[in-house]
This record gives sequence, structure tokens and C-alpha cells, in this order.
Amino acid sequence: MRAPLLAALILGLCAAPLAAKTATPQERGKALARLPNWNGYWLTENDETSIGGLAERSVQAKETGKSGPRAVMTLYGFGAPWNDEGKKRQALRGKYGGLKAMGWGYPIMMNAAAPLQFLITPEEVLIVNAYRDVRHIYTDGRKHPAPDDVWPTVWGDSIGHWEGDTLVVDTIQVKNPNIYFHGAPPFSEQAHYVERIRMVSPTRIEDAFTIEDPVTLSGPFTATVVYQPAEGFDRMISIDYDNDRTDYDDGGGTIEPPKDGK
Amino acid sequence: MAMFDQSKTVKLTGTVREFQWTNPHCYIQLVVKGDDGKATEWSLEMGAPMYLYAAGWRPGTLKNGTEISVSINPLKDGKPGGVVLTASTADGKPIGRGVPLNKATS
Repeated sequence: MRAPLLAALILGLCAAPLAAKTATPQERGKALARLPNWNGYWLTENDETSIGGLAERSVQAKETGKSGPRAVMTLYGFGAPWNDEGKKRQALRGKYGGLKAMGWGYPIMMNAAAPLQFLITPEEVLIVNAYRDVRHIYTDGRKHPAPDDVWPTVWGDSIGHWEGDTLVVDTIQVKNPNIYFHGAPPFSEQAHYVERIRMVSPTRIEDAFTIEDPVTLSGPFTATVVYQPAEGFDRMISIDYDNDRTDYDDGGGTIEPPKDGK
Repeated sequence: MAMFDQSKTVKLTGTVREFQWTNPHCYIQLVVKGDDGKATEWSLEMGAPMYLYAAGWRPGTLKNGTEISVSINPLKDGKPGGVVLTASTADGKPIGRGVPLNKATS
């Protein structure tokens, strides 16, 4: 019994993908020291939110009568060069977009009114938001999986590399973002996303997007999203969607009664 | 936010029956007595807990039975509900830190 087991083990080891050389703690420490530090919690510029969940910019504009920067998320894609299919999807988004959000997903999580965290390691960069959207951006030299090994997901598949202090990210296989979050742009699964992310000052990170999609765009959609320190957060808190009482069944919208029925 | 009438602001004073610290919205169930003495329970929507947290609110900020005052944009459909704009204690002090997230960014 032992010989077959040993043979199977050997075969298994041979069949396993070649693991990258494991760095010693000292080597890894040196690699980490060469990378930027984007610690902290970050929020998209102009996406501050009141206790009522309203865009703070809109509340201020209403109170003062002065219009400030538009409180509209850049990645909604209102300025994108939509082709006929894209325009059709945009119109449908406005009419039938799901109004109970399941999360944000990519790319709109990068432009959400929710704090983001960048965790940079020599092997990958993790981007996490308070809605528990997580992106794994592999910077260990790997390629995207072969076409048969990848499938569209809400967050897609991302690989990246560093050009100096700029993280260049390549993302594919994103499920139509609009299916997951009603405010997201309705790109197809063929969309290709490239981001150049860089800390330009201790209080500002810029993420320059170039999005191409042969199905919905007539040309590249470029947009830059700016992150600033998110104040008031001393830890990242993620909670599930346990109480969405928004009800659009009658078309106009209302608040459902509390679940305790009192 | 389309379901709220943002052209109207209503002020309410009442007693908290329940504060729901939940996602994607927090809610205050506020019992308000009318001029006729009849009690009506309002469902008052707030933002996600993270926004309240950043503004100094915590899950235990509102205890059941506490009297508070709020200003709201009411529901368009006329039901007793709305979205909270401001919230203060019975003696007029803002609840939480009383400031929005990242106030000074302009």
C-alpha cells in the first residue's frame, strides 16, 4: 500500500504548479520596504455622506444655494463614449436597475461612498472596502488564467505590476457590473480595465482608469478617481445586508414596516 | 432617495421605540404623539452604519425610550416615514459629533 501512495505523492508533487521560490523573511522584508505605503482608510473625493445617507455635497448645495462639485460618481460612466448597445443598456439601467443593492463590485467599488483600504505586499495588493468587496491584484508575475480557467465574477480577475511608485492593474472577466449594483456602468464581460494607481501626496491617491469594451463603448472610457483620507474611521467594519427595508414594489418607493411587525 | 420629498422638511419629536443598527440602512422607529394625543410610529431611514460611525454614532447611541428630535424629508407616499437630515437630543444637542464625514474638503 505504501508504494502506490508514495508514487501518488510524487506524481502529485510533479503535477503541482511550480511554486515561486519562497522568500526568506529577510528577503521579503527588503521587498516590502521597496513598496509604497498606502496605509489608512480612503474615501473618494466628493463622496462624503450625511447621517441620512445623502450625498453631503448635495445637502450643502441645498442649504447654501451654491452648487459645488457634482456629487456624482465618475465611474457611473455618464461621460463614457457609449455605442448604441451601451446607450441601450444605459437606458435600461435607469428604468429597470435593481434597487436593492447586493454590494458594489468592480469597478464601482473603487468609486463608492465607502472607505477603501489598500494592503500592499510583495506578492499581491488587496483592496478592501467596508461593504466587504475585496480585490486580489497579483503582483507576483503571474498572467491571467487561461480562457477556459476563468469565469466572469463581480470583481473580475486582476494582475498588476509596479512601475516605480505606480501600481498598474489589468482586470478582465468582470460580470456586467450593473447586475450586482444598480448604479454601476453596464459594461459587458468583454470589457478590459487598466488602472494606474499612485499616491501623489500623503493625503491623495489617484486612480486613472482606461476602460475598453467592444460591446458597449465606441472608444476608450478614461476617468480618474481621487481618494482622500476617510475621517472618523479607526477600523474597517464590514457587516452583512441584513435589513434592506426599501420597497419599490409599487413603483414609487417606500419604507417597509420593521420586521418585528410592531 | 427618489422616494423622499426633498422639497419638504418635517420636524418630529418623539420617543425611540427601536434603533436598528443595520445594513444597508439604519432606522429609527420613533413614536410621535400628535396634537390629538394619538401616537404614530414613524420609520426613519438613515445611511449605512459606516456613515453614522464616522459621524460619531454607535450602535448604543439611541436607547429605547429616549426622547429625540429629528428633521426629515418625508416619504412621498404619505406614509409615516422619511429620511433623517438632523437628529438632536430633547434639549437640542446634536447626536453623535453632529458633523458629517470629511466636512472640510473644499
